[in-house]
Amino acid sequence: MERRRGNPFLEILAASIHEDFRFPILEVFAFLYAISTFAFLGLGGGIASMLSPQSGEAYIHQLVSIQMGIPLFIFLILIFKNVVYGFGSEFEKGTIQTLLSYPLKRHMVLTAKLLSALGVSLLMFLGIQFFALFIMAPQTVFANLATVIVSYLASLSYPLFLTAILLIVAMKIRKGGLALVLGIVLYFALSVASGILTALSITTGNPLPLKALSVLNPSLALQYHFNPLGSLVGGEILWNPSFNEVLAYIGGGYCLVIAAFLIAYYYFSRRLNI
Amino acid sequence: MTKLIVAENIYKSYGKVKAVNGLSLEVNEGAVMGLIGPNGAGKTTTIKIILGLLRPDKGKVSVFGEDPWDNPKIRELIGVIYEKAYFPSHHKVLDYLRRACRIFGVSESRAREVLELVGLDAYDREIKGLSAGMLQKFAIAHALIHNPKLVIADEPASNLDPEARSNLLDLILKLHKEEDVTFLISSHILPELSRVCDSVAIINEGRVLASGPLTELFERYSAKVIRITTDKPEAFANELRMLSYVEKISIDSRGVSLVAAEGMESNIYEDAPKIAKNINAAILGIELGTASLEQLYYKVVREKEMKK
Repeated sequence: MERRRGNPFLEILAASIHEDFRFPILEVFAFLYAISTFAFLGLGGGIASMLSPQSGEAYIHQLVSIQMGIPLFIFLILIFKNVVYGFGSEFEKGTIQTLLSYPLKRHMVLTAKLLSALGVSLLMFLGIQFFALFIMAPQTVFANLATVIVSYLASLSYPLFLTAILLIVAMKIRKGGLALVLGIVLYFALSVASGILTALSITTGNPLPLKALSVLNPSLALQYHFNPLGSLVGGEILWNPSFNEVLAYIGGGYCLVIAAFLIAYYYFSRRLNI
Repeated sequence: MTKLIVAENIYKSYGKVKAVNGLSLEVNEGAVMGLIGPNGAGKTTTIKIILGLLRPDKGKVSVFGEDPWDNPKIRELIGVIYEKAYFPSHHKVLDYLRRACRIFGVSESRAREVLELVGLDAYDREIKGLSAGMLQKFAIAHALIHNPKLVIADEPASNLDPEARSNLLDLILKLHKEEDVTFLISSHILPELSRVCDSVAIINEGRVLASGPLTELFERYSAKVIRITTDKPEAFANELRMLSYVEKISIDSRGVSLVAAEGMESNIYEDAPKIAKNINAAILGIELGTASLEQLYYKVVREKEMKK
Protein backbone atom coordinates (compact mmCIF):
# COMPACT_ATOMS: atom_id res chain seq x y z
CA MET A 1 0.00 0.00 0.00
CA GLU A 2 1.20 3.48 -0.85
CA ARG A 3 2.32 5.18 2.36
CA ARG A 4 2.18 8.96 2.54
CA ARG A 5 3.11 9.87 6.04
CA GLY A 6 2.03 13.23 7.32
CA ASN A 7 3.48 14.74 10.43
CA PRO A 8 1.33 13.43 13.32
CA PHE A 9 2.10 16.55 15.38
CA LEU A 10 1.01 18.93 12.61
CA GLU A 11 -2.07 16.85 11.87
CA ILE A 12 -3.18 16.98 15.51
CA LEU A 13 -2.40 20.70 15.61
CA ALA A 14 -4.51 21.24 12.47
CA ALA A 15 -7.35 19.16 13.92
CA SER A 16 -7.20 21.18 17.15
CA ILE A 17 -7.26 24.51 15.29
CA HIS A 18 -10.21 23.24 13.26
CA GLU A 19 -12.02 22.37 16.50
CA ASP A 20 -11.01 25.45 18.54
CA PHE A 21 -11.64 28.05 15.85
CA ARG A 22 -14.50 26.66 13.86
CA PHE A 23 -16.58 29.26 12.02
CA PRO A 24 -17.36 31.93 13.22
CA ILE A 25 -15.26 31.92 16.43
CA LEU A 26 -12.07 33.20 14.79
CA GLU A 27 -13.95 35.83 12.79
CA VAL A 28 -15.96 37.08 15.79
CA PHE A 29 -12.93 37.34 18.06
CA ALA A 30 -10.81 39.05 15.38
CA PHE A 31 -13.60 41.60 14.94
CA LEU A 32 -13.90 42.15 18.70
CA TYR A 33 -10.12 42.58 19.02
CA ALA A 34 -9.99 45.03 16.14
CA ILE A 35 -12.94 47.15 17.19
CA SER A 36 -11.93 47.35 20.85
CA THR A 37 -8.26 47.96 20.02
CA PHE A 38 -8.94 50.84 17.62
CA ALA A 39 -11.68 52.34 19.79
CA PHE A 40 -9.49 52.43 22.91
CA LEU A 41 -6.42 53.51 20.99
CA GLY A 42 -8.27 56.56 19.71
CA LEU A 43 -9.64 57.32 23.15
CA GLY A 44 -6.35 56.47 24.88
CA GLY A 45 -4.20 58.90 22.90
CA GLY A 46 -5.81 61.94 24.50
CA ILE A 47 -6.04 60.44 27.98
CA ALA A 48 -2.41 59.26 27.90
CA SER A 49 -1.12 62.69 26.92
CA MET A 50 -3.04 64.21 29.83
CA LEU A 51 -1.86 61.60 32.31
CA SER A 52 1.75 61.35 31.17
CA PRO A 53 2.87 64.61 29.67
CA GLN A 54 6.40 64.25 31.08
CA SER A 55 8.03 61.63 28.85
CA GLY A 56 7.52 59.64 25.66
CA GLU A 57 8.01 56.39 27.55
CA ALA A 58 5.34 57.17 30.12
CA TYR A 59 3.03 58.29 27.32
CA ILE A 60 3.47 55.11 25.30
CA HIS A 61 3.04 52.98 28.42
CA GLN A 62 -0.25 54.72 29.22
CA LEU A 63 -1.32 54.41 25.59
CA VAL A 64 -0.58 50.67 25.50
CA SER A 65 -2.28 50.13 28.89
CA ILE A 66 -5.46 51.90 27.82
CA GLN A 67 -5.46 50.27 24.41
CA MET A 68 -4.89 46.81 25.88
CA GLY A 69 -7.61 46.92 28.57
CA ILE A 70 -10.66 45.47 26.82
CA PRO A 71 -8.78 43.40 24.18
CA LEU A 72 -6.80 41.74 26.99
CA PHE A 73 -10.05 40.73 28.62
CA ILE A 74 -11.31 39.37 25.28
CA PHE A 75 -8.00 37.53 24.90
CA LEU A 76 -8.51 36.00 28.34
CA ILE A 77 -11.99 34.85 27.45
CA LEU A 78 -10.66 33.22 24.28
CA ILE A 79 -7.78 31.39 25.95
CA PHE A 80 -9.99 30.35 28.85
CA LYS A 81 -12.53 29.03 26.34
CA ASN A 82 -9.88 27.10 24.40
CA VAL A 83 -7.34 26.07 27.01
CA VAL A 84 -9.39 25.73 30.18
CA TYR A 85 -12.87 24.87 28.91
CA GLY A 86 -11.69 23.18 25.71
CA PHE A 87 -8.99 21.05 27.30
CA GLY A 88 -11.12 20.24 30.37
CA SER A 89 -13.89 19.11 28.06
CA GLU A 90 -11.46 16.81 26.22
CA PHE A 91 -11.26 14.84 29.45
CA GLU A 92 -14.96 15.13 30.16
CA LYS A 93 -15.93 13.89 26.68
CA GLY A 94 -13.02 11.47 26.41
CA THR A 95 -11.60 12.77 23.11
CA ILE A 96 -8.18 12.83 24.76
CA GLN A 97 -8.25 9.01 24.61
CA THR A 98 -8.50 9.17 20.83
CA LEU A 99 -5.58 11.61 20.65
CA LEU A 100 -3.51 9.28 22.81
CA SER A 101 -4.18 6.37 20.46
CA TYR A 102 -2.00 8.09 17.85
CA PRO A 103 1.75 7.49 17.58
CA LEU A 104 2.73 10.70 19.33
CA LYS A 105 4.28 11.29 22.75
CA ARG A 106 2.04 12.80 25.38
CA HIS A 107 3.99 16.05 25.64
CA MET A 108 3.66 16.54 21.88
CA VAL A 109 -0.10 16.08 22.12
CA LEU A 110 -0.20 18.76 24.83
CA THR A 111 2.04 21.07 22.78
CA ALA A 112 -0.26 20.73 19.76
CA LYS A 113 -3.31 21.48 21.90
CA LEU A 114 -1.61 24.50 23.52
CA LEU A 115 -0.29 25.89 20.25
CA SER A 116 -3.80 25.79 18.89
CA ALA A 117 -5.57 27.08 21.98
CA LEU A 118 -3.02 29.61 23.21
CA GLY A 119 -0.62 30.28 20.32
CA VAL A 120 -3.24 31.23 17.74
CA SER A 121 -5.09 33.46 20.25
CA LEU A 122 -1.84 35.15 21.28
CA LEU A 123 -0.79 35.77 17.67
CA MET A 124 -4.17 37.27 16.86
CA PHE A 125 -4.16 39.48 19.96
CA LEU A 126 -0.61 40.78 19.54
CA GLY A 127 -0.93 41.06 15.76
CA ILE A 128 -3.95 43.36 15.95
CA GLN A 129 -2.50 45.36 18.87
CA PHE A 130 0.84 46.06 17.15
CA PHE A 131 -0.85 46.73 13.83
CA ALA A 132 -3.11 49.32 15.48
CA LEU A 133 -0.20 50.97 17.32
CA PHE A 134 1.92 51.24 14.20
CA ILE A 135 -0.96 52.74 12.25
CA MET A 136 -2.04 55.26 14.88
CA ALA A 137 1.28 56.37 16.36
CA PRO A 138 4.13 54.96 14.28
CA GLN A 139 6.84 57.46 15.27
CA THR A 140 6.18 57.29 19.02
CA VAL A 141 6.04 53.50 18.89
CA PHE A 142 9.31 53.18 16.95
CA ALA A 143 11.02 55.63 19.31
CA ASN A 144 9.87 53.65 22.39
CA LEU A 145 9.74 50.09 21.09
CA ALA A 146 11.40 48.66 24.24
CA THR A 147 8.70 50.23 26.44
CA VAL A 148 5.99 48.84 24.18
CA ILE A 149 7.45 45.34 24.37
CA VAL A 150 8.01 45.53 28.13
CA SER A 151 4.44 46.77 28.63
CA TYR A 152 3.05 43.77 26.75
CA LEU A 153 5.37 41.32 28.51
CA ALA A 154 4.36 42.72 31.91
CA SER A 155 0.64 42.61 31.11
CA LEU A 156 0.65 39.09 29.65
CA SER A 157 2.58 37.45 32.49
CA TYR A 158 -0.36 37.02 34.85
CA PRO A 159 -2.87 35.79 32.21
CA LEU A 160 -0.31 33.21 31.05
CA PHE A 161 0.40 32.12 34.62
CA LEU A 162 -3.31 31.83 35.28
CA THR A 163 -3.74 29.80 32.09
CA ALA A 164 -1.05 27.32 33.17
CA ILE A 165 -2.55 26.97 36.65
CA LEU A 166 -6.03 26.48 35.23
CA LEU A 167 -4.68 23.96 32.73
CA ILE A 168 -3.47 21.86 35.66
CA VAL A 169 -6.80 22.37 37.43
CA ALA A 170 -8.73 21.35 34.29
CA MET A 171 -6.64 18.18 34.01
CA LYS A 172 -7.20 17.43 37.66
CA ILE A 173 -10.94 18.07 37.92
CA ARG A 174 -11.70 17.10 34.30
CA LYS A 175 -14.61 19.50 34.08
CA GLY A 176 -14.22 22.28 31.51
CA GLY A 177 -17.11 24.42 32.74
CA LEU A 178 -16.03 24.40 36.37
CA ALA A 179 -12.42 25.22 35.46
CA LEU A 180 -13.64 28.12 33.31
CA VAL A 181 -15.67 29.61 36.19
CA LEU A 182 -12.69 29.18 38.51
CA GLY A 183 -10.47 31.00 35.98
CA ILE A 184 -12.77 34.01 35.75
CA VAL A 185 -13.04 34.17 39.56
CA LEU A 186 -9.24 34.02 39.94
CA TYR A 187 -8.74 36.73 37.33
CA PHE A 188 -11.07 39.14 39.12
CA ALA A 189 -9.62 38.08 42.48
CA LEU A 190 -6.28 39.55 41.37
CA SER A 191 -7.88 42.91 40.59
CA VAL A 192 -9.53 42.92 44.01
CA ALA A 193 -6.29 41.82 45.72
CA SER A 194 -4.39 44.50 43.83
CA GLY A 195 -6.79 47.20 45.08
CA ILE A 196 -6.69 45.96 48.68
CA LEU A 197 -2.89 45.67 48.73
CA THR A 198 -2.46 49.12 47.21
CA ALA A 199 -4.70 50.61 49.91
CA LEU A 200 -2.84 48.60 52.56
CA SER A 201 0.55 49.80 51.27
CA ILE A 202 -0.55 53.44 51.23
CA THR A 203 -2.13 53.37 54.69
CA THR A 204 0.71 51.46 56.35
CA GLY A 205 3.44 53.18 54.36
CA ASN A 206 4.91 49.77 53.53
CA PRO A 207 4.97 48.77 49.84
CA LEU A 208 6.01 45.15 50.56
CA PRO A 209 2.57 43.57 49.81
CA LEU A 210 2.51 45.33 46.44
CA LYS A 211 6.05 44.20 45.67
CA ALA A 212 5.05 40.62 46.39
CA LEU A 213 1.99 40.91 44.14
CA SER A 214 4.14 42.42 41.40
CA VAL A 215 6.00 39.13 41.00
CA LEU A 216 2.68 37.60 40.01
CA ASN A 217 1.59 40.66 38.04
CA PRO A 218 4.66 42.67 36.89
CA SER A 219 2.47 45.29 35.20
CA LEU A 220 2.00 46.76 38.72
CA ALA A 221 5.75 47.36 39.03
CA LEU A 222 5.78 48.95 35.57
CA GLN A 223 2.85 51.14 36.51
CA TYR A 224 4.66 52.38 39.66
CA HIS A 225 7.85 52.89 37.63
CA PHE A 226 6.06 55.54 35.58
CA ASN A 227 3.65 56.74 38.29
CA PRO A 228 5.33 56.34 41.70
CA LEU A 229 3.23 55.15 44.62
CA GLY A 230 2.82 57.97 47.11
CA SER A 231 1.93 57.80 50.78
CA LEU A 232 -1.40 59.05 52.09
CA VAL A 233 0.15 61.88 54.09
CA GLY A 234 3.10 64.05 53.23
CA GLY A 235 3.26 63.01 49.57
CA GLU A 236 6.25 60.78 50.33
CA ILE A 237 7.10 58.35 47.53
CA LEU A 238 6.64 54.80 48.83
CA TRP A 239 7.62 52.84 45.79
CA ASN A 240 9.18 53.83 42.50
CA PRO A 241 10.97 50.81 41.03
CA SER A 242 13.71 51.45 38.49
CA PHE A 243 13.43 50.05 34.96
CA ASN A 244 15.90 47.29 35.84
CA GLU A 245 13.81 46.36 38.86
CA VAL A 246 10.76 46.19 36.60
CA LEU A 247 12.68 43.85 34.29
CA ALA A 248 13.53 41.70 37.32
CA TYR A 249 9.84 41.53 38.27
CA ILE A 250 8.97 40.57 34.70
CA GLY A 251 11.71 37.91 34.79
CA GLY A 252 10.30 36.60 38.08
CA GLY A 253 6.78 36.58 36.64
CA TYR A 254 7.87 34.58 33.60
CA CYS A 255 9.82 32.15 35.80
CA LEU A 256 6.49 31.44 37.51
CA VAL A 257 4.80 31.05 34.11
CA ILE A 258 7.49 28.62 32.92
CA ALA A 259 7.39 26.68 36.20
CA ALA A 260 3.59 26.37 36.04
CA PHE A 261 3.71 25.14 32.42
CA LEU A 262 6.52 22.69 33.27
CA ILE A 263 4.39 21.27 36.08
CA ALA A 264 1.45 20.99 33.66
CA TYR A 265 3.67 19.16 31.13
CA TYR A 266 5.15 16.86 33.77
CA TYR A 267 1.71 16.06 35.15
CA PHE A 268 0.24 15.35 31.71
CA SER A 269 3.22 13.35 30.45
CA ARG A 270 4.19 11.33 33.49
CA ARG A 271 1.39 11.27 36.04
CA LEU A 272 -1.99 11.78 34.43
CA ASN A 273 -4.20 8.71 34.29
CA ILE A 274 -6.83 9.11 31.60
CA MET B 1 4.25 -18.37 20.08
CA THR B 2 4.87 -14.61 20.46
CA LYS B 3 3.08 -12.95 23.32
CA LEU B 4 1.73 -9.58 22.20
CA ILE B 5 0.36 -8.57 25.60
CA VAL B 6 1.85 -9.60 28.92
CA ALA B 7 0.43 -8.21 32.17
CA GLU B 8 2.15 -9.46 35.29
CA ASN B 9 0.51 -9.11 38.66
CA ILE B 10 -0.88 -5.61 38.10
CA TYR B 11 -2.68 -3.54 40.69
CA LYS B 12 -4.68 -0.36 40.27
CA SER B 13 -6.80 1.40 42.88
CA TYR B 14 -9.09 4.42 42.71
CA GLY B 15 -8.97 5.68 46.27
CA LYS B 16 -10.13 2.74 48.37
CA VAL B 17 -11.59 0.83 45.44
CA LYS B 18 -9.29 -1.85 44.10
CA ALA B 19 -10.18 -1.93 40.41
CA VAL B 20 -7.39 -4.34 39.45
CA ASN B 21 -6.05 -6.57 42.13
CA GLY B 22 -3.08 -8.71 41.09
CA LEU B 23 -4.21 -9.39 37.54
CA SER B 24 -2.02 -11.40 35.18
CA LEU B 25 -2.86 -11.91 31.53
CA GLU B 26 -1.20 -13.05 28.35
CA VAL B 27 -2.46 -12.64 24.80
CA ASN B 28 -0.70 -14.65 22.11
CA GLU B 29 -0.20 -13.48 18.58
CA GLY B 30 -3.06 -14.61 16.35
CA ALA B 31 -5.51 -15.12 19.23
CA VAL B 32 -9.01 -13.77 19.54
CA MET B 33 -9.30 -13.43 23.29
CA GLY B 34 -12.44 -12.46 25.12
CA LEU B 35 -12.20 -10.57 28.38
CA ILE B 36 -15.33 -11.37 30.33
CA GLY B 37 -16.56 -10.40 33.73
CA PRO B 38 -19.39 -8.56 35.48
CA ASN B 39 -19.68 -4.77 35.72
CA GLY B 40 -16.92 -3.42 37.94
CA ALA B 41 -14.75 -6.53 37.45
CA GLY B 42 -11.86 -4.40 36.19
CA LYS B 43 -12.12 -5.00 32.44
CA THR B 44 -12.01 -1.37 31.31
CA THR B 45 -9.24 -0.51 33.80
CA THR B 46 -7.21 -3.48 32.52
CA ILE B 47 -7.71 -2.35 28.92
CA LYS B 48 -6.72 1.22 29.79
CA ILE B 49 -3.54 -0.03 31.48
CA ILE B 50 -2.73 -2.13 28.41
CA LEU B 51 -3.28 0.93 26.21
CA GLY B 52 -1.00 3.08 28.37
CA LEU B 53 -3.80 5.44 29.44
CA LEU B 54 -3.43 4.38 33.07
CA ARG B 55 -0.27 3.59 34.95
CA PRO B 56 -0.60 0.56 37.23
CA ASP B 57 0.16 1.10 40.94
CA LYS B 58 2.17 -2.11 40.88
CA GLY B 59 3.10 -4.75 38.35
CA LYS B 60 4.40 -4.75 34.81
CA VAL B 61 2.71 -4.56 31.44
CA SER B 62 4.28 -4.99 28.06
CA VAL B 63 2.66 -4.71 24.66
CA PHE B 64 4.75 -5.81 21.68
CA GLY B 65 7.57 -6.09 24.22
CA GLU B 66 7.33 -2.40 25.24
CA ASP B 67 5.89 -0.46 28.15
CA PRO B 68 2.70 1.03 26.69
CA TRP B 69 2.84 4.20 28.83
CA ASP B 70 3.81 7.01 26.49
CA ASN B 71 5.46 4.67 24.03
CA PRO B 72 3.96 5.95 20.82
CA LYS B 73 5.75 3.61 18.44
CA ILE B 74 3.61 0.61 19.43
CA ARG B 75 0.41 2.57 18.75
CA GLU B 76 1.15 2.17 15.05
CA LEU B 77 0.41 -1.52 15.56
CA ILE B 78 -2.69 -1.19 17.75
CA GLY B 79 -6.27 -0.34 16.84
CA VAL B 80 -8.54 0.74 19.66
CA ILE B 81 -12.31 0.65 19.93
CA TYR B 82 -13.73 2.22 23.06
CA GLU B 83 -17.13 1.46 24.55
CA LYS B 84 -18.19 5.02 23.85
CA ALA B 85 -16.72 6.55 20.74
CA TYR B 86 -14.84 9.75 21.46
CA PHE B 87 -14.00 11.98 18.51
CA PRO B 88 -13.81 15.73 17.90
CA SER B 89 -17.37 16.52 16.95
CA HIS B 90 -16.97 19.19 14.29
CA HIS B 91 -15.05 17.17 11.71
CA LYS B 92 -16.61 15.42 8.76
CA VAL B 93 -16.43 11.62 8.75
CA LEU B 94 -14.27 11.18 5.67
CA ASP B 95 -12.06 14.21 6.44
CA TYR B 96 -11.26 12.94 9.93
CA LEU B 97 -10.39 9.47 8.68
CA ARG B 98 -8.19 10.96 5.97
CA ARG B 99 -6.37 12.88 8.67
CA ALA B 100 -5.95 9.62 10.61
CA CYS B 101 -4.52 8.08 7.41
CA ARG B 102 -1.91 10.85 7.26
CA ILE B 103 -1.07 10.43 10.94
CA PHE B 104 -0.48 6.71 10.52
CA GLY B 105 1.16 7.02 7.11
CA VAL B 106 -1.32 5.05 5.03
CA SER B 107 -2.84 6.06 1.72
CA GLU B 108 -5.86 8.35 2.07
CA SER B 109 -7.85 5.93 -0.09
CA ARG B 110 -7.86 3.64 2.94
CA ALA B 111 -10.43 5.99 4.58
CA ARG B 112 -13.13 5.04 2.06
CA GLU B 113 -12.08 1.39 2.20
CA VAL B 114 -12.63 1.09 5.96
CA LEU B 115 -15.91 3.00 5.80
CA GLU B 116 -17.13 0.54 3.18
CA LEU B 117 -15.84 -2.31 5.31
CA VAL B 118 -18.00 -1.28 8.27
CA GLY B 119 -20.95 -0.21 6.13
CA LEU B 120 -20.97 3.50 6.90
CA ASP B 121 -21.74 5.75 3.95
CA ALA B 122 -22.26 9.11 5.71
CA TYR B 123 -18.95 10.39 4.32
CA ASP B 124 -19.76 14.10 4.44
CA ARG B 125 -21.69 14.19 7.68
CA GLU B 126 -20.16 15.84 10.74
CA ILE B 127 -19.23 13.37 13.46
CA LYS B 128 -21.62 15.07 15.89
CA GLY B 129 -24.47 14.28 13.50
CA LEU B 130 -23.94 10.51 13.60
CA SER B 131 -26.31 8.26 15.50
CA ALA B 132 -24.91 6.07 18.30
CA GLY B 133 -24.72 3.04 16.01
CA MET B 134 -23.10 5.01 13.18
CA LEU B 135 -20.61 6.47 15.63
CA GLN B 136 -19.67 2.99 16.77
CA LYS B 137 -19.16 1.95 13.15
CA PHE B 138 -17.01 5.05 12.65
CA ALA B 139 -14.97 4.08 15.73
CA ILE B 140 -14.42 0.60 14.28
CA ALA B 141 -13.37 2.10 10.93
CA HIS B 142 -10.99 4.45 12.76
CA ALA B 143 -9.46 1.53 14.67
CA LEU B 144 -8.78 -0.38 11.46
CA ILE B 145 -7.47 2.53 9.39
CA HIS B 146 -3.78 1.64 9.77
CA ASN B 147 -4.09 -2.13 9.36
CA PRO B 148 -3.24 -2.84 13.02
CA LYS B 149 -1.68 -6.11 14.13
CA LEU B 150 -3.61 -5.99 17.39
CA VAL B 151 -7.11 -4.66 17.99
CA ILE B 152 -8.20 -3.92 21.53
CA ALA B 153 -11.94 -3.45 21.85
CA ASP B 154 -13.96 -2.51 24.91
CA GLU B 155 -17.59 -3.49 24.31
CA PRO B 156 -17.29 -2.96 20.55
CA ALA B 157 -20.83 -4.15 19.80
CA SER B 158 -22.54 -1.73 22.17
CA ASN B 159 -24.94 0.58 20.31
CA LEU B 160 -24.98 -1.66 17.24
CA ASP B 161 -28.21 -3.16 15.90
CA PRO B 162 -28.37 -6.98 15.51
CA GLU B 163 -27.38 -6.90 11.84
CA ALA B 164 -24.44 -4.58 12.48
CA ARG B 165 -23.36 -6.79 15.41
CA SER B 166 -23.39 -9.83 13.19
CA ASN B 167 -21.42 -7.94 10.54
CA LEU B 168 -18.88 -6.88 13.16
CA LEU B 169 -18.37 -10.48 14.24
CA ASP B 170 -17.95 -11.52 10.60
CA LEU B 171 -15.42 -8.72 10.17
CA ILE B 172 -13.46 -9.86 13.22
CA LEU B 173 -13.38 -13.43 11.90
CA LYS B 174 -12.33 -12.21 8.44
CA LEU B 175 -9.51 -10.02 9.75
CA HIS B 176 -8.34 -12.78 12.02
CA LYS B 177 -8.38 -15.40 9.30
CA GLU B 178 -7.11 -13.37 6.34
CA GLU B 179 -4.80 -10.85 7.97
CA ASP B 180 -3.89 -12.68 11.16
CA VAL B 181 -5.01 -9.76 13.33
CA THR B 182 -4.97 -10.47 17.07
CA PHE B 183 -7.99 -9.33 19.09
CA LEU B 184 -8.59 -8.64 22.76
CA ILE B 185 -12.31 -8.05 23.17
CA SER B 186 -14.12 -7.13 26.32
CA SER B 187 -17.84 -7.77 26.16
CA HIS B 188 -20.90 -8.61 28.20
CA ILE B 189 -22.59 -10.30 25.30
CA LEU B 190 -21.22 -13.76 25.79
CA PRO B 191 -23.05 -15.65 23.01
CA GLU B 192 -21.52 -13.23 20.49
CA LEU B 193 -18.07 -13.50 22.03
CA SER B 194 -18.24 -17.28 21.86
CA ARG B 195 -18.78 -16.98 18.10
CA VAL B 196 -15.41 -15.33 17.55
CA CYS B 197 -13.15 -16.06 20.53
CA ASP B 198 -10.77 -18.96 20.65
CA SER B 199 -9.64 -18.10 24.18
CA VAL B 200 -11.04 -16.18 27.14
CA ALA B 201 -9.94 -14.60 30.38
CA ILE B 202 -12.65 -14.56 33.02
CA ILE B 203 -12.08 -11.73 35.46
CA ASN B 204 -13.82 -10.77 38.64
CA GLU B 205 -12.90 -8.37 41.45
CA GLY B 206 -9.84 -7.24 39.55
CA ARG B 207 -8.17 -10.58 39.01
CA VAL B 208 -8.22 -13.33 36.40
CA LEU B 209 -10.14 -16.36 37.66
CA ALA B 210 -9.39 -18.50 34.63
CA SER B 211 -7.85 -17.99 31.24
CA GLY B 212 -6.82 -20.03 28.23
CA PRO B 213 -8.17 -21.61 25.08
CA LEU B 214 -11.92 -22.21 25.26
CA THR B 215 -11.69 -25.94 24.63
CA GLU B 216 -9.17 -26.27 27.46
CA LEU B 217 -11.35 -24.30 29.86
CA PHE B 218 -14.46 -26.33 29.07
CA GLU B 219 -12.43 -29.45 29.80
CA ARG B 220 -10.74 -28.06 32.91
CA TYR B 221 -14.00 -26.93 34.47
CA SER B 222 -15.99 -29.91 33.17
CA ALA B 223 -18.45 -27.39 32.00
CA LYS B 224 -21.09 -29.71 30.66
CA VAL B 225 -24.69 -28.69 30.39
CA ILE B 226 -27.59 -31.06 30.94
CA ARG B 227 -30.71 -30.39 28.97
CA ILE B 228 -34.03 -31.78 30.25
CA THR B 229 -37.01 -31.40 27.92
CA THR B 230 -40.27 -31.43 29.87
CA ASP B 231 -43.86 -30.22 29.72
CA LYS B 232 -43.53 -28.37 33.09
CA PRO B 233 -40.26 -26.47 32.93
CA GLU B 234 -40.91 -24.02 35.77
CA ALA B 235 -42.04 -26.61 38.29
CA PHE B 236 -39.13 -28.82 37.25
CA ALA B 237 -36.66 -25.99 37.73
CA ASN B 238 -38.01 -25.24 41.21
CA GLU B 239 -37.37 -28.82 42.23
CA LEU B 240 -33.93 -28.89 40.64
CA ARG B 241 -32.88 -25.84 42.62
CA MET B 242 -33.24 -27.92 45.80
CA LEU B 243 -30.46 -30.26 44.64
CA SER B 244 -27.12 -29.29 46.14
CA TYR B 245 -25.03 -30.24 43.10
CA VAL B 246 -27.00 -28.08 40.65
CA GLU B 247 -25.00 -24.90 40.06
CA LYS B 248 -26.92 -22.98 37.43
CA ILE B 249 -30.34 -23.34 35.88
CA SER B 250 -31.95 -21.65 32.92
CA ILE B 251 -35.52 -22.19 31.79
CA ASP B 252 -37.25 -21.84 28.44
CA SER B 253 -40.68 -22.87 27.19
CA ARG B 254 -39.56 -26.40 26.31
CA GLY B 255 -37.44 -27.37 29.24
CA VAL B 256 -34.57 -26.70 31.61
CA SER B 257 -30.77 -26.48 31.13
CA LEU B 258 -28.51 -26.95 34.11
CA VAL B 259 -24.86 -27.08 35.01
CA ALA B 260 -23.99 -29.67 37.65
CA ALA B 261 -20.98 -29.73 39.95
CA GLU B 262 -17.96 -31.58 38.59
CA GLY B 263 -18.43 -35.38 38.67
CA MET B 264 -22.08 -35.12 39.72
CA GLU B 265 -23.63 -35.00 36.24
CA SER B 266 -24.74 -38.62 36.34
CA ASN B 267 -26.86 -38.01 39.48
CA ILE B 268 -29.38 -36.16 37.40
CA TYR B 269 -30.32 -39.38 35.61
CA GLU B 270 -31.52 -40.74 38.98
CA ASP B 271 -33.07 -37.56 40.34
CA ALA B 272 -34.90 -36.27 37.25
CA PRO B 273 -37.41 -39.19 37.08
CA LYS B 274 -38.13 -38.80 40.82
CA ILE B 275 -38.83 -35.08 40.36
CA ALA B 276 -41.03 -35.78 37.35
CA LYS B 277 -43.05 -38.23 39.42
CA ASN B 278 -43.41 -35.77 42.33
CA ILE B 279 -44.70 -32.91 40.21
CA ASN B 280 -46.54 -35.09 37.76
CA ALA B 281 -44.49 -33.94 34.76
CA ALA B 282 -43.35 -35.79 31.67
CA ILE B 283 -39.67 -35.99 30.71
CA LEU B 284 -39.37 -35.85 26.95
CA GLY B 285 -35.58 -36.16 26.87
CA ILE B 286 -32.29 -35.73 28.80
CA GLU B 287 -29.14 -34.78 26.90
CA LEU B 288 -25.60 -33.98 27.97
CA GLY B 289 -23.83 -31.28 25.93
CA THR B 290 -21.03 -28.72 26.11
CA ALA B 291 -21.87 -25.62 28.09
CA SER B 292 -22.18 -22.21 26.54
CA LEU B 293 -19.63 -19.53 27.33
CA GLU B 294 -22.13 -18.03 29.73
CA GLN B 295 -22.45 -21.31 31.59
CA LEU B 296 -18.69 -21.72 31.71
CA TYR B 297 -18.45 -18.20 33.12
CA TYR B 298 -20.95 -18.92 35.90
CA LYS B 299 -19.26 -22.19 36.70
CA VAL B 300 -15.84 -20.59 37.04
CA VAL B 301 -17.14 -17.69 39.14
CA ARG B 302 -19.18 -20.01 41.39
CA GLU B 303 -16.28 -22.41 41.86
CA LYS B 304 -13.94 -19.59 42.89
CA GLU B 305 -16.54 -18.22 45.30
CA MET B 306 -16.93 -21.67 46.88
CA LYS B 307 -13.13 -21.94 47.31
CA LYS B 308 -13.15 -18.57 49.09
